[in-house]
Amino acid sequence: MPAYSTELPIRPDLNDAHEELAKRWASTGLWWSGAERLAIVEQVRAARDAEPLAPWESPSEFEGLVSGENILPTAAVDAIWRITNHPGTLTAEWHASIVGRGLNPEAYAELVGVVAQANAVDRFADALDLERVSLPEPSGIEPARSPDPSVQVTSHWVPTAQIKGPNVVKALSAVPFENESMQLLSSVQYVGLGDLLSDLVSDQNSLSRMQVEVIAARTSKLNECFY
Amino acid sequence: MNQDAEVTFEAIDNSESGDGGVEHGALLSRLCEAIYNEDQGQLASIKDQVIEAAGADVLVDAVAVSAHFYMMTRIADATGTPLDAGSVEPSIQIRELVGVNAFTSRREAQK
Repeated sequence: MPAYSTELPIRPDLNDAHEELAKRWASTGLWWSGAERLAIVEQVRAARDAEPLAPWESPSEFEGLVSGENILPTAAVDAIWRITNHPGTLTAEWHASIVGRGLNPEAYAELVGVVAQANAVDRFADALDLERVSLPEPSGIEPARSPDPSVQVTSHWVPTAQIKGPNVVKALSAVPFENESMQLLSSVQYVGLGDLLSDLVSDQNSLSRMQVEVIAARTSKLNECFY
Repeated sequence: MNQDAEVTFEAIDNSESGDGGVEHGALLSRLCEAIYNEDQGQLASIKDQVIEAAGADVLVDAVAVSAHFYMMTRIADATGTPLDAGSVEPSIQIRELVGVNAFTSRREAQK
């Protein structure tokens, strides 16, 4: 079933990628079960649809903002809402406070991946007045939840693997499945990461590369992202 | 689409200063602002303008690119991603021109 039903000329590869992302959200992760990963996506949607909170306010402080059926730790829910609605306010101290509430650092990295992907996919649908991607049934397999001794906190707040490439690609290297999802979206919504710096002139579908970079930079500025 | 002028950073800093040498640069910048602001009236108007000026394909692809950076910004900012070695000095002037030096994330990305 296609991700979107619309008269807009959505490219098949883009449609397929969003459908694939929904399946990946429902899959068992390294740290979160399929049901928990879908709950993360649902919390992104709840955060986006709620009356805005100030950056210093957490949904867990307010009665009724988080469903009684929520299966995620409150630290995870608070992180999801903050990353979704106020990414430009995040600090090392904030990150330390979240993992200090018992969230495993590698589980936090996986959560960031899913939150970030859901923000991209849903923002696309919302901006074009499309139904958000429907969520499949979750995998019933439990995650291993095994720390990887090869990943360490070195350059980022989160543990990362020893890989080469831009720091933003290294960011989720402790959770390769999320890095793959990021690269899948990059290939259909931006530029394939292999061509990021090696080809600065080719058109990207109906856009020139310069148009792509204007949109990328303007959006990054609106989100107050210095990187 | 062809570039026919020198490219500048105007359309990145804001949507009021011109195209910055990029075809439909100001219009695409306004589209990004409307997506960010989630003002349905503003967004509907800008989308119509993009379709009229550039076509529905451009609208869909432009929304896809903008949406993508709701992912990339969150990955960078939520993981404490530092600026890449070798990009700090060369980007000083660009960061000044596009007006990002006041962001909280600057402190984190330059640690």
